[in-house]
Amino acid sequence: MANSNLPRRIIKETQRLLSEPAPGISASPSEDNMRYFNVMILGPTQSPYEGGVFKLELFLPEEYPMAAPKVRFLTKIYHPNIDKLGRICLDILKDKWSPALQIRTVLLSIQALLSAPNPDDPLSDNIAKHWKTNEAEAVETAKEWTRLYASGA
Amino acid sequence: MDSEDDMHDANDLESLDDDFYSGETAMGSDDGDAGYDFVDNESDDSEDITSHRQQQNYTILSEVDIRQHQEEDINRVSIVLSISRSAACILLRHYNWSVSKVHDEWFADEENVRKAVGLLENPVEMQNARELSCGICFENYPHNNMSTAACGHHFCGSCWRGYIGTSISDGPGCLMLRCPDPSCSAAVGQDMINILATDEDKEKYSRYLLRSYIEDNRKTKWCPAPGCDFAVEFVMGSGNYDVCCNCSYNFCWNCTEEAHRPVDCGTVAKWILKNSAESENMNWILANSKPCPKCKRPIEKNQGCMHITCTPPCKYEFCWLCLGAWSEHGERTGGFYACNRYESAKQEGAYDESERRREMAKNSLERYTHYYERWATNQSSRQKALADLHSMQTEKLEKLSDRQSQPESQLKFIIEAWLQIVECRRVLKWTYAYGYYLPEHEHAKRQFFEYLQGEAESGLERLHQCAEKELQVYLDAETPMKDFNDFRTKLAGLTSVTRNYFENLVRALETGLKDVGSSNSQATCSKTSSSKCLGGKSKIGKIKAGGTTSRSGGPSRSLDESNLWSCDQCTYVNPRSTNTCQMCEHRRCTT
Ligand SMILES: [Zn+2]
Ligand SMILES: [Zn+2]
Ligand SMILES: [Zn+2]
Ligand SMILES: [Zn+2]
Ligand SMILES: [Zn+2]
Ligand SMILES: [Zn+2]
Ligand SMILES: [Zn+2]
Ligand SMILES: [Zn+2]
Repeated sequence: MANSNLPRRIIKETQRLLSEPAPGISASPSEDNMRYFNVMILGPTQSPYEGGVFKLELFLPEEYPMAAPKVRFLTKIYHPNIDKLGRICLDILKDKWSPALQIRTVLLSIQALLSAPNPDDPLSDNIAKHWKTNEAEAVETAKEWTRLYASGA
Repeated sequence: MDSEDDMHDANDLESLDDDFYSGETAMGSDDGDAGYDFVDNESDDSEDITSHRQQQNYTILSEVDIRQHQEEDINRVSIVLSISRSAACILLRHYNWSVSKVHDEWFADEENVRKAVGLLENPVEMQNARELSCGICFENYPHNNMSTAACGHHFCGSCWRGYIGTSISDGPGCLMLRCPDPSCSAAVGQDMINILATDEDKEKYSRYLLRSYIEDNRKTKWCPAPGCDFAVEFVMGSGNYDVCCNCSYNFCWNCTEEAHRPVDCGTVAKWILKNSAESENMNWILANSKPCPKCKRPIEKNQGCMHITCTPPCKYEFCWLCLGAWSEHGERTGGFYACNRYESAKQEGAYDESERRREMAKNSLERYTHYYERWATNQSSRQKALADLHSMQTEKLEKLSDRQSQPESQLKFIIEAWLQIVECRRVLKWTYAYGYYLPEHEHAKRQFFEYLQGEAESGLERLHQCAEKELQVYLDAETPMKDFNDFRTKLAGLTSVTRNYFENLVRALETGLKDVGSSNSQATCSKTSSSKCLGGKSKIGKIKAGGTTSRSGGPSRSLDESNLWSCDQCTYVNPRSTNTCQMCEHRRCTT
């Protein structure tokens, strides 16, 4: 089975994620693959995503922790650093990855990204342009999408 | 071409002739035709000056040299700043291996420099904790089984190995490795790599370090020849960028294209771009066979020279470039060499080919094609000449040495000749890019340029002919010693004359032919110092094999067997039919 030889580090991280979850974040491994996590992040208060529940998937590649986890939004979201496939533009998922980072720190960073969109380093050009030219209107759209796609259920 | 190597070769040749003539004094003095420019060795110091100047221009570095230079720089910084060698190495890499820049920055603001590169001033030491948790694998280990950079963030050996290995496989960024802790910027240097990494990774790291020393340094570059491991350190500020690597590849230090004097880097870039844009149209040109103009059978050019003889029974002799009859080419018609002169298609329309070309002359593609074809032809002739040179060095010289009972050391003049042919092909090739960009409306310049180019072509053909076809006789059979000695004199002479001519040509083109109209002689014979016709028989001296023109020495003598005479002032070889040098208008000396 795929979970034999799971590194101690992953087991420890998983245990801790389950026993002491970070506020507004839940992550649980899939039953048949301990490297695949179902993640939920609550939209931070005072952000356009407040009230939303966002589903993500997180996968720990073979090289983890020397290589970063792969994370993707499954819930549609209107955000300048997230594209329509749910891919996330976040430095620690790319060149700023360090093996001393963890699943928890990654998810906290993503939560922080929802509070502070960065249209200067966009993944989605259209949304970023919208954000820069008319932030109020872009925020309205983000709220609208949160209502439409992230309302819980 | 004034490179150190050439100089050595020229000197070798001179000493060779020394030996040769000391044993065979009678030869040459008897034979009025054999003489060339005999000069006293003592009077010939100009070359040493040239070679000295060239020598200071650049240095070729082997891997051993590079490592040694790098070690020296690291040691210097380490001693002056009182820091570890590993820290010195990190600093040098950060400042692109400039020792003076490291010193300047460090003494201006040490704290800031330390921060920028991640060198902590006071290493943190963990207090007496017995067991620590590794921040990567989360396992607990005894304190002394773990390692840390100067910051005190401990990780276990296996995690360090993985961390370093991942970074090294990501590329040269590993030279700027920091502590794995994301909030920490402490540098991880070669000392730690050497303790913690696998042997394979240590080796890779050390290669990246070596490469960085060349690639991140403004003063050094790798030789661009495929498979060559030499690097070149260049001293800025001299105008000439030509570099000759120890692998014998000549390239331009500035743009790293193949050496391209007399054309400048900008023109080369334009020309290369143009070629790639036009390359689809040009494919047909690259086909290396053409129909014989007489019998129409396809002829493949298998010798470097433009003089083609069709296979029997036709045996028609023609020029590869213009497909014109060879009888209308060459020295017999007074150095007239039509095929490089595009404009000359305007002449009589003597053959169909030139008719056709004249009609198409207005077409710019046709114009480009003209230059490109000749550029490419010279390029492949050069490749061919390189191959010939190689086969000469590897087999033919030995055979010749057998046939003519001469030690191989006495046959270096043949290698000299082939080296010169290779170099001439290179120059000639670039004159076609030069010609393409020479403005159409500058008629006087164009005319003079084409004239010079034509002379260069025919001079080179003469040398090529001699080194290729005339040599064949001596390869095929044993011949009288005197014949071979005459051949030696002729080929060495042609080599020397051709070298001079091409050097003058390069200089004239580089100065933009600016003396055109008034005194061509100044443009092309600028290196000439005062020369007088000294009467009387020349003394037996050494054949002057090297580059510069004759300064003392005998009168110009006729190279009788080919109806030529060498100009006393510029050394250009002129046909007997004229008494005025075609190059510099100096009158033939007839004493
Ligand atoms: Zn650290
Ligand atoms: Zn560890
Ligand atoms: Zn080389
Ligand atoms: Zn260049
Ligand atoms: Zn034929
Ligand atoms: Zn030839
Ligand atoms: Zn021709
Ligand atoms: Zn002359």
